[in-house]
Amino acid sequence: MIELKNLSKKYGNLLAVDNLDLRVPKGEIFGFIGPNGAGKTTTINMVGGVLAPTSGAVMICGINMADQPEHAKRKIGFIPDRPYLYEKLTGMEFLKFIADLYDVDEDTFLKKSQEKLDMFFLSDRSNELIESYSHGMKQRLVMAAALLHDPQVIVVDEPMVGLDPLAIKMVKDHFKHLADEGVTIFMSTHTLKVAEDICDKIGIIHKGTLIATGTYEDLRRDVHAEGADLEQIFIRLTEP
Amino acid sequence: MKHVVTLLRPRLFSFKNKGLFKNDRGRRVKLFLFGTIGICFWGGIFAVSLRVLIYFKTISELGDILAYKLLSMILLTFFSLLIFSSILTSISKLYLSRDLSLVHSMPVSSFKIFIARSIESTLDSSWMVIVYTLPVFMSYGIVYQAGFFFYWDMIMVILSLVIIASSTSVILVVLVVNFVPANRMRNMSIFFGLCLFLILFFAFRFLQPERLVDPEVFSTALAYLKSLKTPAPPYLPSTWACDSLKAALSGHIQHGMFHTALSWTWAGVMVFTAIIIADAVYFKGLSKTHTAQVRLFRNRFSGIHFLRFLPGPVRAFVTKEIRTFFRDQTQWSQLFLIAALVVLYLYNFNALPLEKAPIKTVYLQNLLSFLNMGLAGFVLTAITARFAYPAVSIEREAFWLVKSTPIGLRSYLWIKFFIYFLPLLILTEILIIATNILLNVTPFMMALSTATIFFLVPGVVAMGIGFGAAYPDFKADNPAQTVTSFGGILFMMVCAGYIGAVIFLEAGPVYNIFMADIRERGLTVFEWTWVTGSFVLVFVLSIAAIIIPMKFGEKRLSELQG
Repeated sequence: MIELKNLSKKYGNLLAVDNLDLRVPKGEIFGFIGPNGAGKTTTINMVGGVLAPTSGAVMICGINMADQPEHAKRKIGFIPDRPYLYEKLTGMEFLKFIADLYDVDEDTFLKKSQEKLDMFFLSDRSNELIESYSHGMKQRLVMAAALLHDPQVIVVDEPMVGLDPLAIKMVKDHFKHLADEGVTIFMSTHTLKVAEDICDKIGIIHKGTLIATGTYEDLRRDVHAEGADLEQIFIRLTEP
Repeated sequence: MKHVVTLLRPRLFSFKNKGLFKNDRGRRVKLFLFGTIGICFWGGIFAVSLRVLIYFKTISELGDILAYKLLSMILLTFFSLLIFSSILTSISKLYLSRDLSLVHSMPVSSFKIFIARSIESTLDSSWMVIVYTLPVFMSYGIVYQAGFFFYWDMIMVILSLVIIASSTSVILVVLVVNFVPANRMRNMSIFFGLCLFLILFFAFRFLQPERLVDPEVFSTALAYLKSLKTPAPPYLPSTWACDSLKAALSGHIQHGMFHTALSWTWAGVMVFTAIIIADAVYFKGLSKTHTAQVRLFRNRFSGIHFLRFLPGPVRAFVTKEIRTFFRDQTQWSQLFLIAALVVLYLYNFNALPLEKAPIKTVYLQNLLSFLNMGLAGFVLTAITARFAYPAVSIEREAFWLVKSTPIGLRSYLWIKFFIYFLPLLILTEILIIATNILLNVTPFMMALSTATIFFLVPGVVAMGIGFGAAYPDFKADNPAQTVTSFGGILFMMVCAGYIGAVIFLEAGPVYNIFMADIRERGLTVFEWTWVTGSFVLVFVLSIAAIIIPMKFGEKRLSELQG
């Protein structure tokens, strides 16, 4: 479960995220959409514990990120949009590195790593250096690493960037499966079709403020546009 | 502790994998080349240190004072270098590394990340300083015939100084980043560090140490030696290190142990202080770094109107190059350094005591002027290596823009060539003309050196651009450092060969013309043929030096880009 309480972030004089109040219950997929520079990645980074908020609080499964960052992060699988990977490590070495930081024991690691590598079609390349991977393979490796420790919350920024259609379908199905098992997923995306397909609830952020939130139907109702798709709703809410 | 080790593991794995997966010959050649240069340099320091200390040993009474004063100065310099190097490295490691988002998203306390990064920073910032000061300390042991204790003490003292310098630097950085964002601080520390270095260098140079060997001012030197006995500040860690080593050299083990223990105690205090401070403010500072604006000064110089006469693509590249150069504050310090280099160069020529030399002045002046062409050529090579060689790599990941524009690679490289050719030609001609005026050379030498430089500059710049294009590194964190790569070393070696060949070809004919002029006789037919042949060869060589590297660079770059 994720709870954002009066979350704000200032970059110098620019208010990137303004007083965000949000609650994503257990087992829900929450899609966070908004125009470029709206504050999506800043919010994602604060939820992931990578960035400290200027004010407000991030609660992960009831744990305050500011008070107990290690405990909170242990619950999270964090997938950034442009992840940094150690190019001179092999895929398997990278997974081991992540597993050690999450205190995943050796037996579980061996089982889980193979399972995730198979799932993300990386098994036959796992002993090659990451520098030889394509962009999509790197993205799949980061996802595999984020899922190694069975997180209760997944925080993901632009999950489908660089993935081929087969991988996109696999990730969508897997996210739905994880949500069914009680994992909370907080994702930002520009791909409105993805949000439409898998998100239980959608939040639209514009100039740092959450201007609308709810199910697809709620949003339609809010803009008085019966039969409108998410793109039309998005444009209506965010156009100047 | 387990997490700290895990956080250090990617670095170890990367190091191991570098050799494991790529079995390329280039890497081995590079390793051999750099290894040889490194060993020669190390050996040189060792030989000079031994020579100096053996000489000091021969001076009764004063010798030991000088040797110990030198040791204290070396340790102070060693400590200052460690602090400066550690400040720069720790800013990068703690606040600017690209993997920080990844490691901070993990369930690991920020102080553990801080410890792991500090260990990396300590190793990175100190290994080279240690390696190249070791021969100096070892020379002391050999010359003073010290026992095992000295060598053990030397290692302990060096390690404690490294830890003190590193923890002092990280404390400073972690505290200051909360007020000045890390990206600005790095620019500023480079700038201020260079200022400090230049002030020290100028102060030393203008003291004219050569006067110390001049008997006419010997009384001043004696007064100076008297001041050498003044003890160093007792609160400086380098003083404890010096006292410890002095005691170890003279066999006072207990005394030595006391100072070493003092140094280690302080190292421990500093490490724990650093961890406590980092636990409180490191993450706050990191968040600030990711959110602060980078530019130090607002550059109001936005339009480069005087370039309007250039064709569109050329203007676009020239404008971009000038703007990025002046907006990147790290470049300014380089300009400052070049200005200082030019001033020192000219000052040294001005300070030459030619009238005291036993050789005929007019001969010496012109000989120096001739050799000065080579020297100016090497200065030109150094500046080209810093600016023109990385000109292609500097495009970094934006190189796709170059590839997607309707300009061929050849035109692109020639644009780059002309951007650097004109300023470097002006700079080198100023250098050579100014030094010739200072040397008061004959009109023939003035004309010859001006013309030679006019032909040398395009060759050297073309080699810089050509080799830089042939061995680009678009992933380098700092493209200016690509000159230390294989291609960079190759460029410098070929440049040295080219300049050497030009000087060699001109030496004979110039000597003949000069001697004929002094003896007031004409040139023989053989001499005329030699002169003409040599200058034609220099001309052909210079044209080849422009065309071949540019073609080589174009060919390699197009192959690399597929």
